[in-house]
Amino acid sequence: MFIQILFGLSALLTIGCAIAVAVTKNIMHSCVFLLGSLIGIAGLYATLGADFVAVTQIMVYVGGVVILMLFAVMLTGGKDYVSKAQNLLGLAPNMGNKWTYTIGLLVSLVFILTNVKLVSSVIKANPAKTFGNEFPSTVNQLGHLLVKDHVLAFELSSVLLLGALVGAAIIARPRKQ
Amino acid sequence: MNQTVVSYLSQYEFYDSLLALFGNNQGLLAFTIFLIVALIIVGLCATIGGLGTYAERKISADLQQRIGPNRVGPYGLLQFLADGVKMMTKEDVMPFTADKMLFYLAPMLALVGVFATLAVLPFSSGFAMADLNVGVFYLIAISSLVGLAVFLGGYASNSKWSMLGGMRGASQIISYEIPVTISILAITLLAGGMSFGTIVGMQKGLPINWFIFHNPFAFIAFFVFFTGALAETNRAPFDLPEAESELVSGYHTEYTGMRFGFFALAEYIEVFVVCGVAVALFLGGSNLPVDIKLDIIPIQIIEVVIFLTKTLLLYYVVIWIRWTLPRLRVDQLMSVCWKYLTPMAILNLVGCAIWLVVFNGKSMADMVFGH
Repeated sequence: MFIQILFGLSALLTIGCAIAVAVTKNIMHSCVFLLGSLIGIAGLYATLGADFVAVTQIMVYVGGVVILMLFAVMLTGGKDYVSKAQNLLGLAPNMGNKWTYTIGLLVSLVFILTNVKLVSSVIKANPAKTFGNEFPSTVNQLGHLLVKDHVLAFELSSVLLLGALVGAAIIARPRKQ
Repeated sequence: MNQTVVSYLSQYEFYDSLLALFGNNQGLLAFTIFLIVALIIVGLCATIGGLGTYAERKISADLQQRIGPNRVGPYGLLQFLADGVKMMTKEDVMPFTADKMLFYLAPMLALVGVFATLAVLPFSSGFAMADLNVGVFYLIAISSLVGLAVFLGGYASNSKWSMLGGMRGASQIISYEIPVTISILAITLLAGGMSFGTIVGMQKGLPINWFIFHNPFAFIAFFVFFTGALAETNRAPFDLPEAESELVSGYHTEYTGMRFGFFALAEYIEVFVVCGVAVALFLGGSNLPVDIKLDIIPIQIIEVVIFLTKTLLLYYVVIWIRWTLPRLRVDQLMSVCWKYLTPMAILNLVGCAIWLVVFNGKSMADMVFGH
């Protein structure tokens, strides 16, 4: 019961903030609403029993991505970006012409259909199938999966991240005169 | 292992009579207990934060051969209450060009981020609110809200001082999160788990069993962690976001009244939380020095007292450092983090891993005393 209430609240937070991201005219406010939406998603993960993923969500998005986005917005103009133009619906800032909206609509249709397809296969599957209780917690389970089944993907992503780090260092380094 | 404070209390007989009182509604009783415990912990920590301002002024006065606050109450002990009343009765000024929503949001975000970390702080083996199996990770993640609040507060004030302070704060907190997290990772490796219950439970007994003395790398990791934690909480010598000699008072220059109070309170409680985490990870947490099999409530209270004593001693060290060392420059701050602390933290992590493999997971004490 309690979990269901929390799930509902998280879902409301996610959706409400997501709408606010699109509707608000101040780009800094959009970033902050995005933060609320991401925290709501973390709440959804937590109420569904994926505690590690929930905490990772907060760690990565709140601690890193949103702060970086705020930094980037602030350094490139910040609140001067308050848009006065209106689009067709008179809601969001004007972000494109009719082609943008047409293509956006098509892409979102494709996404919705894909998601419906994915979710339907999950619903049709046998819900009783669980992973058994050989692991004391989700953390142990994830660790076992990462270093046993998915060790190649794990190592490859670490190489990718190292590449990104080295690239950032090279770009930020002052050029030799 | 106790998952939450409710599951700890449920092993006693009075829990059943309480349950009958609530009409056998498990969820409602659990909710009520959580609510009461949360109120107690938040109240306790807010008081500690308030007394922290008093301790700061008194200890700094001692170090500078002054007297310090001594008018309100015995030894000036009620000074923080007087300050609180003053802040609440002050006019709440907002700059004309400030970003209203973010200006209101930032102080609350700071307090929310700090209070959320109290949920996993292990006051004792039974009275920790929740012993999540991702405990330490949760604490690192949720406390990054404070960095965001510092940045937003600096941005929303729309003032040059605040802006500079906020930018410094955000970059400093993001940077110093890395050595702190890697040092914690080394301890997670030694304990074999991220929950505070596991980590504290591994350090039972005499101080020689604490993780700080587990191996030389863990010993260094403690100092890396402590330095990084000082920087994360914006304490001197890393208090550049509020450097009063250059930035007036940094990110909260434009805040008045209780909104400023929120930022100050959040900072003092965060120092307490960080000291508590250092105690739990490295200094044996709330364990008694002797192994008592008896599990009754008085022993839990003794454990809470032990935990608070260790934490407040560390708190004293933090204040002592603040009034002893001069402030760093911004470039020195960044080079300390990226050129010294981060490589040291990574070496400590690798060292701890190698130690575990070579010596089969034994600590130095195990090898000397052979048990």
